Amino acid sequence: MRPLAVALLCAAFLLPSSSRAADLPEGKWWKHPRVAAEINLTPDQVREMDDIFARARPKLVEGKAELEKRQGDLQDAIDANAGRGEVASRIEAVEAARTELQKTRILMVLDMRRTLKPEQWDRLIEMRREIRQQRRERFGRYLERRRGEQPR
Amino acid sequence: MDPQNTNRTSPDAHLADDALFALALPPAGVPEALPAHLLACPRCARALADWKSAVRDLEARDEAVLDRRSAEEWEAVEDATLAAIRREGAPGRARAKTLRWALPVAASLLVFALFVSNRPTPSPTAAALDDTAGLSAQDQADDALLRDVDRLASGDETASGVGGLAPDPGTSDLAPADEGRS
Repeated sequence: MRPLAVALLCAAFLLPSSSRAADLPEGKWWKHPRVAAEINLTPDQVREMDDIFARARPKLVEGKAELEKRQGDLQDAIDANAGRGEVASRIEAVEAARTELQKTRILMVLDMRRTLKPEQWDRLIEMRREIRQQRRERFGRYLERRRGEQPR
Repeated sequence: MDPQNTNRTSPDAHLADDALFALALPPAGVPEALPAHLLACPRCARALADWKSAVRDLEARDEAVLDRRSAEEWEAVEDATLAAIRREGAPGRARAKTLRWALPVAASLLVFALFVSNRPTPSPTAAALDDTAGLSAQDQADDALLRDVDRLASGDETASGVGGLAPDPGTSDLAPADEGRS
C-alpha cells in the first residue's frame, strides 16, 4: 500500500468517528444525476466508480452482516445481564468487526477519490456539509417551535 | 415512568421528545455527548436507537415526495403522532411488546413532519444527494447498503453500539438549546 494511503487511513482512524462520517460522501452518490452534474462527473468516471464499488461490495456486505451479528450478540449479553468478562469480549468483537468494515469503506473511498479531480472531490465534500447543515437548521427550527408550544 | 413524558433535566429522569430528537441528529463533526441516564436505562437507550433509525430512514427519502403534503397536513400528522406516542406510554399499559414497532413508526411520522415544517422551499443540495427516486432498483439497494455501512462503520448507533453506551465524561444531560441548534 502506498505511504500516502497508509497515512490517510491512520489519520482517518485517529479522528473522532462523527468527524470521519461527516467528511465522506454517503450513499451511491455518483449515480445521483444532480450530484453528477454538480461536480461534472464524466461517464468514464462513473464507470470507474462502479468498478471500484463492485470490487468492494462483497466485503461491505460481509462486513456489515458480521458487525450486525456481533452487535446482536452484545445486546443479547447485556439483556441477559451477562458477566463483565463476557460483555467485554463481545464489545471487543463488535469493535473488531467495525474496524474491519471501516477499513473496507475507507479504502474504497480512497480509490474513488483518486479517480476524481481535486475540485470535484472538494465540491462533493462541500455538498455533504451543506446537507448536514440544512438538516440541522430544519431540526433546530422544529425543536424551537415544539418548545414554544409545550407548557413549561 | 415514561421516556416521552417526563422531565429530562434530572440525570434520573427519562428522556423527553426534544432530547431524543436532539440526540438522534447531532451537529456534524461534533462528538455526540450522551446523558449519563442512557448508560443505566435500557428503555431510553432503545428509544434513542428507534429515533435514530427513524431519522436515518427519513434522510434517505426523496424530499420531493415529502413536499407533496401541505404544512397543515403535516401539522395534523405530527399532533396525531405525538398523541399516539403518549398513549403508548400511558401507565398500566402493556407496552413492552408494542413499543419496538410502534415507536419507530410514530417517530417516522413525527420526523416526516419535522423535515417539512417551517420549510417553504425544498433544499436543492439536500435533495441532490437524498433523491433516490431516479435510481434503478440495484442502485437503490447499493445506495442503502452504503448508507448503512457509513452509519455502522462510524459507530452511529446507540442501543447495540459500544460507543452509544458510554456517556461523555462530565456530561449528565444534554440541552438541545445549548448545542447551537437555532
